[in-house]
Amino acid sequence: MSGPADRDGVREVARSAARAFAEAGDLAALEEARVRFLGRKGEITALLRSIGELPLEERPAFGETINDLKSEIEGLFESRRSALGANGAEEDHFSGDATLPGRRATAGGTHVLRRVVSEMKAIFFGMGYSLAEGPDVELDYYNFEALNFPVDHPSRDLQDTFYVNRDILLRTQTSPVQVRYMERHRPPIRIIVPGRVYRNETPDPSHAAEFLQMEGLYVDRNVSLADLRNDIAFFARSFFGADAKVRFRPHFFPFTEPSAEVDMSCFSCGGSGCAICGRTGWIEIMGAGMVHPHVFRYAGYDPDAYTGFAFGIGIERTAMLKYGIDDIRRLLGNDLRFLGQFWSEAAPEVAR
Amino acid sequence: MKASLNWLKRYVDVAEHPDTLAHDLTMFGLNVESIESLAPSYSGVVFGTVLECGKHPGADRLSLCSVDAGRGRPLSIVCGAPNVRAGQRVAVAVEGAVLAGGLRIKRSKIRGQLSEGMICSSTELGVGEDGGGILVLDFDDSPGASLDGRLGQTDYVLDIEITPNRPDLLSHLGIAREIAALYRRELRPPALAPLDGGAEFRLEIESGADCPRYTAAFVDGVAVGPSPVWMQKLLRAVGQSPINNVVDVTNFVLLELGQPIHAFDRDALAGDAIVVRRARKGERIVTLDGVERELDPSILVIADAEHAVAVAGVMGGRDAEVRPETKRLVIESAMFEPRLVRKARRQLFLDTEASYRFEREADIGVMAAAAARVCGLIAEMKAGVPDARTAEYVHDRGALESRTVALRVAQTNRVMGTQLAADDIAALLDRLSLPSRTGPDALAVSVPTFRRDLVEEVDLIEETARVYGYDNIGRDETIRCGTFSIPSPEDRRSELVAGHLVARGFAEAITSSFMDPASPGKMRWDDADERSRCVRIANPLTEAQSAMRTSLVPGLLDVLRRNTPAEAEEIRIFEIGKVFIPAPGGAGLPREDLRCTAILSRQADPLQWMQPQRECDFFDAKGEVETLFERFGLCGSVSVSETSGASGRGVRWFRGGKPFAEAFVVARPVLEAFDVEGPVYCFDILVDELPAGAQWPVMSPVSPYPAVKRDLCIVVDDRVRFYDIREAIAGEAHFLDSLRVFDYYRGGHLGEGKRSFTFRLSFRSPDGTLDGMAVDREVQRILAALHREFGAVLRTE
Ligand SMILES: [Zn+2]
Repeated sequence: MSGPADRDGVREVARSAARAFAEAGDLAALEEARVRFLGRKGEITALLRSIGELPLEERPAFGETINDLKSEIEGLFESRRSALGANGAEEDHFSGDATLPGRRATAGGTHVLRRVVSEMKAIFFGMGYSLAEGPDVELDYYNFEALNFPVDHPSRDLQDTFYVNRDILLRTQTSPVQVRYMERHRPPIRIIVPGRVYRNETPDPSHAAEFLQMEGLYVDRNVSLADLRNDIAFFARSFFGADAKVRFRPHFFPFTEPSAEVDMSCFSCGGSGCAICGRTGWIEIMGAGMVHPHVFRYAGYDPDAYTGFAFGIGIERTAMLKYGIDDIRRLLGNDLRFLGQFWSEAAPEVAR
Repeated sequence: MKASLNWLKRYVDVAEHPDTLAHDLTMFGLNVESIESLAPSYSGVVFGTVLECGKHPGADRLSLCSVDAGRGRPLSIVCGAPNVRAGQRVAVAVEGAVLAGGLRIKRSKIRGQLSEGMICSSTELGVGEDGGGILVLDFDDSPGASLDGRLGQTDYVLDIEITPNRPDLLSHLGIAREIAALYRRELRPPALAPLDGGAEFRLEIESGADCPRYTAAFVDGVAVGPSPVWMQKLLRAVGQSPINNVVDVTNFVLLELGQPIHAFDRDALAGDAIVVRRARKGERIVTLDGVERELDPSILVIADAEHAVAVAGVMGGRDAEVRPETKRLVIESAMFEPRLVRKARRQLFLDTEASYRFEREADIGVMAAAAARVCGLIAEMKAGVPDARTAEYVHDRGALESRTVALRVAQTNRVMGTQLAADDIAALLDRLSLPSRTGPDALAVSVPTFRRDLVEEVDLIEETARVYGYDNIGRDETIRCGTFSIPSPEDRRSELVAGHLVARGFAEAITSSFMDPASPGKMRWDDADERSRCVRIANPLTEAQSAMRTSLVPGLLDVLRRNTPAEAEEIRIFEIGKVFIPAPGGAGLPREDLRCTAILSRQADPLQWMQPQRECDFFDAKGEVETLFERFGLCGSVSVSETSGASGRGVRWFRGGKPFAEAFVVARPVLEAFDVEGPVYCFDILVDELPAGAQWPVMSPVSPYPAVKRDLCIVVDDRVRFYDIREAIAGEAHFLDSLRVFDYYRGGHLGEGKRSFTFRLSFRSPDGTLDGMAVDREVQRILAALHREFGAVLRTE
């Protein structure tokens, strides 16, 4: 048997209705398709009319089939109509082109120096150091006298100082916080002190009149030079990478003894010598030493009961080493194109 | 301190390459900053033999020589030196050679005769001075052998950083002593037997505190002339110009022993006397540099019976200066109080080698020996006949003895983190010429006078650690951790603010703590504004950096002017930093506030295809502050008021009656003063005032019932403020969950002097779903209240 009245014919109508609805791009086209299938002269009506060609006993079953078909097609129509949306056009989530750029917010970022300080803080926090702070405008007493720089002693010439008056100056180092903190706390003390310091020097590519320093201080019973070396070595590896090595060169600071300058193996050549490290394979990164007994006495600690170490890291210098920055003055220049280079979490890929 | 390697080798053997020596000294605490090679700089010079030497046919004073320079055939060379002879072994600069002055040798014709090179003098090779003739070599070699680098004495000069605690290292002997310790070699100090005192001479020291020791030695029959070549060479190597034998020997001993020496013309000393005293008020002296200087009693001088002849420890005077005709000398080898020398040096702006050393404290033990050393050298170079006796003053003879300093073994190990035995420590110190007697628990270390930095135990611990080697300590690399830490909320506050603003598209700047003292005027802050007075720097780098900032705004406006390219679109810059507010009355330390300040300018968002770009406005700035406050849980405790200061109009937020934040549009005259294009919007928050951590949010129940929303559009007079209406609604309404204003309109069809607000009010009850009718009645009540208070009416389209 063939013709519209057979079941295969019914499935064919359902398929072509689905196709027609899907192809309808707007409500008008959809309405046209609806009329074609569900209208008074549509295909469903035609199928119902063809019922008369069937033997009497098949007619009820066929009628039921057609009714099912009709509600199926009505369902298809409804879902398509709602898909076409209120304004009748197909909902386009992409304005026709999903490759257009997405909606962007203005990009911002932290200053590279904050980034360096934050990384350092995270490392030292992990080692049990807490944060402490002190004033930038400081008493001569804390900046020099209590740190064992005698009045009228050549050791004061080591640091060119900005003075407000005879007793007040701009701190030349973060070390005054050592005595300030010890005056108010009992051991064990393990602190870092990030902050700005000032030197009366004409700026050049490696010197600035104001720069950031991070002081470290650890005081307890039996803290030793060995502990200092190990903390600094751990810091260097954490901050600069697992291959970083440190060496300690004897030096002089009035407020520590023994004192050392700390060099790190050159990140650029790994120690074989290059232009960055002055062919030595090493780069100076900080000053350090064991807290001088005089400083303990100024702070009211018994130097026979406690020992301790202190260190001071130049933040700008460290940033310059880590990020390959050639001139310290750029760090205070606030050129947004310069600063923007350090906003991403990893080295940016080169755009094609 | 510049140290000549050849000079050092007079006192200690050094076989190491200068680079190795520099490295080893640096690791020993003597930081070698540079090494300079003083090798003669000629090249292309070879050994030659003069085969024949005849007259130049065209010039009487020239010779025409035939020279074997290993070239297969003899070279023909024209020579102008009077001392050239056949058979001499000479240095020949052949074609292509370059001499010390940079002269390149070519074949040339001299008075018609071909000359294929040059027979060199010492001067031409840069290896010494000559008497106007060629250098005749005193050794043999095969003709043609290169002489490059072989003539003249090669020397290296190490520039060593000497820290203020080690004045003993401001001398070649001191550095040699370190090298001897470093390499465990023998030190060969020069013969330093002091002369006997008791000379007939009037030596008066006014104060033993000012001048603890003075040795005067005497020389007769002085013949001022050049010093020997070896001495000149060493002095030149370290940058000293030779002057004459007397002056050179004083400089030599200064650089050899570290003891400044001064020589007076004895016949120029009135009354044949040396008096060490304070200068008289208004006393004058012409120093060796030819400058007349006025003195005062804070300055120590050397005087004769009448007037000052030197500023003690700083510089001699012209009156008693050694001259070519000088016949008799007084040699001064003395010690002066370091602070006095420092004071005089600073007051007179006179930095000298002598003052540098006296300021760091002279070695009280060396004066007589140094005077003897000068006399010995003068005798050796036949520059005069030294007297066998000196005049000597010593304030405290005990100070000439070695000190004994106790060193506990346990304390040494405690500080170093080592397990050394007493004998180990003694052996380490012995290398530094520090002998000791060892007991079971402690050492008694004998410290000679030249180590004036070693005063107490910790000084010896440092020396022990230094010789032991810092890098031999703590090799196990274990971290000792007896403390734990977690950053406090206060510590994290500025990080939170920075992180928030960065996420909001702000770029962080870090500007100078200095401020131009003209900035408060440019900002138009009035006298009542605490930002108008600042901490001033007494010795600033420049006038524009002579004040401490009282606000971050001027710095940020400067960033905007100098560093933002014209094409930059969205400008959102912030800084978190300290400002410095002078203490009341100006005495004491200033208050240091941590502020967060931001500026916004130009576009509010990036240029994009889906929406028109918008210029930023005041409400962008204000909204950022409100968003930040919400982040810190601030709303109820904050009040806000409009401000109209001269630097800009906007709003100010208060907490507990204290202003702590503001947002404003920067006034046009301010922008002009800072040469910035506007408009610029700004906000400024006192970070210390943001709540941190003391209280954290506690859960409150969330209503499960739906909110009922009503829009309310009212018209009021144009002077009625949103803030007041909001307060009124909040005071009146029950179950008000939120209030937002989503339309605002002024004038136009409302008519002049009117404005309208459209609010979306959201009502919600914790106890059940609100009845729509009840909510409508609530809105009516609100409206009635607004009508009563502000004359508000419903807007009807
Ligand atoms: Zn390198």
